[in-house]
Amino acid sequence: MKLLIIEDEPELASSMMAYLRQENYICDSAGGYREAMMKTESWDYDSIIRDITLPDGSVLQVLQDLKKNHKSDGVIIISARNSIDDRIHGLKLGADDYLVKPFHLSELAARVAAIIRRKMYDGNNTISFQEISIDTMANEVSVDHKHVELTGKEYQLLLYLISNKGKVIPKNALMAHLWIEEMGYGESFDFIYTHIKNLRKKLQQQGCRDYIKSVYGIGYKLTDK
Amino acid sequence: MKLQAQYNRITIVSTLFILLIAAAGYYFLLRYVLTSQLDEALKVEEAEINDYIKKHESLPAPTVYKDQRISFEPTAGAGRRSFKNLGTFNPDDNKDESSRQLLFPVKVNGADYMVSVTKSLETTEDLVWIILFSTIALIVLLTAILFFTNRFLLKKLWQPFRNTLSSIKEFNLSAPAAITMQPTKITEFRELNESIRMMAKKVMKDYQSLKDFTDHASHEMQTPLAIINSRLDTLIQEPELSEKSMQQVQGVYKATEKLSRLCQSLLLLARIENHQYTVTQLVTVDELLQEKTTEMQEWVNAKSLTITMDLHPLQITMSHELADIMISNLLRNAIRHTDAHGNINLQTNGHQLLISNTGKTALDKNRIFARFYKSDYSEGSGLGLAIVQHICEQYHFTLGYDFKESQHCFSISFI
Repeated sequence: MKLLIIEDEPELASSMMAYLRQENYICDSAGGYREAMMKTESWDYDSIIRDITLPDGSVLQVLQDLKKNHKSDGVIIISARNSIDDRIHGLKLGADDYLVKPFHLSELAARVAAIIRRKMYDGNNTISFQEISIDTMANEVSVDHKHVELTGKEYQLLLYLISNKGKVIPKNALMAHLWIEEMGYGESFDFIYTHIKNLRKKLQQQGCRDYIKSVYGIGYKLTDK
Repeated sequence: MKLQAQYNRITIVSTLFILLIAAAGYYFLLRYVLTSQLDEALKVEEAEINDYIKKHESLPAPTVYKDQRISFEPTAGAGRRSFKNLGTFNPDDNKDESSRQLLFPVKVNGADYMVSVTKSLETTEDLVWIILFSTIALIVLLTAILFFTNRFLLKKLWQPFRNTLSSIKEFNLSAPAAITMQPTKITEFRELNESIRMMAKKVMKDYQSLKDFTDHASHEMQTPLAIINSRLDTLIQEPELSEKSMQQVQGVYKATEKLSRLCQSLLLLARIENHQYTVTQLVTVDELLQEKTTEMQEWVNAKSLTITMDLHPLQITMSHELADIMISNLLRNAIRHTDAHGNINLQTNGHQLLISNTGKTALDKNRIFARFYKSDYSEGSGLGLAIVQHICEQYHFTLGYDFKESQHCFSISFI
């Protein structure tokens, strides 16, 4: 998997690259429009992550150029603007996803994974982790081919954990992913705890080992070690 | 007191005063002039009588001719020459009439006589009175004309000022339209209008740059916040971090999230004030309310709250995004500030939305919708209700708060 991150803020670019590299993606970064154009012309990327407010070259220009070269697949826009109009605008420009700053790296990884899944596994929408497998088309989970009945939130939680396997995911990121705007300021992380507890129980009932580890109250980690 | 009334009072009182004094002065002057004319005529008579006596050495016959009488009376010793006013009885008209008399001494053949020449003052008096009455009539007429011209002319003259005033009253800082002034030919008002236009322009420009600043600042802050978050996300992957360090990180996460939400809220306020939500559609409030309640159900369950609903169809035309934010904020507010096992009541009717929840003490009605107003224990940003109010202001909805029977009650009237 080859990714290109177009971000003029080196600090942010390097964090994103480091995190995604650990997910076994091959990451390139470009600080501006020219560099990005050069790189997209030379290489084929599975996903391009780009900041919408780059100093040189308008957003429209980059996306149009990418489209012209048939390289518009898998673009994730990162923007500081979070209104619905901005999102729609971004998606209309041909982006596949729209991520609002500030975001958690785990969220970025989950979005990248989703895009690559959509792109790569035509007809085969199953991702697996040990004995757990998820059919992302049917939104179904099974453990050793035994069906596990999950609620919507539990399903999203599991998918998110698998997309970030081996990583500590902070509770804030889980809250943001599952509830987005509905709750204020991590009103209570008990919700996360409850959902994780139920998810664990349901998986274990089908004979799944417990891979979800709690990390010092800061978050959770899906690991087979 | 109105400028016009004040002006009227001053001009009319002073005009009346001056005209009355003038009338009195006129009366006396006229009388004086006419009397001296009469005296001249009497003197001419005197000269004629003296001539006659000199020529004939006898007295002329006493005559009564028209309004003039001449008579002679013998006196002992020479009398003094004098003019006087008389109220003599006129047997012709059978009434008293005033007259002017000249008495002068003459000597005929060594005998002293007093000659009296009397001329009726009647015509003179009549003339004076006619002149006086016409003057007073003129004064009254003049005052009346003055009063009405003041009334209408001033009203017309000050019309541009009143137009300007109503323009200022209608001026709304957050409205996108510039201030409109009706053109006027009067230099002073033109200057006034021009100054106001310039001032309004400057105020609007400053206000706009302030809003732009909020917008930019909020945006610019998102990138550093993203860096903090990403660094923290990387940091917590370190296996050797202690539990204590993790707790520190958790604190930073929380603060970052709070700051980010604060920026987003400020941004939203700026966007509402900038009228950037122009797309409107028909929003079914009761359905939206139900939808949002379902989304927050988990939270409601966790606090064991009871939600009662009395929803009747309610449709309004507004931005769907803002309607969503407005209802979410009110609902989130109610859930957050209701103690466990409390009640929340949602009501809609044809033109009103009511959200009430159990509470202990009333909130400060005057400050509740102000930015950054919040109770000491509130976890919120203090911007939620300010945002609701801004949205309501944009669409001219009436947002109200009331506390009765241990219930905080927020209402939005859509008419």
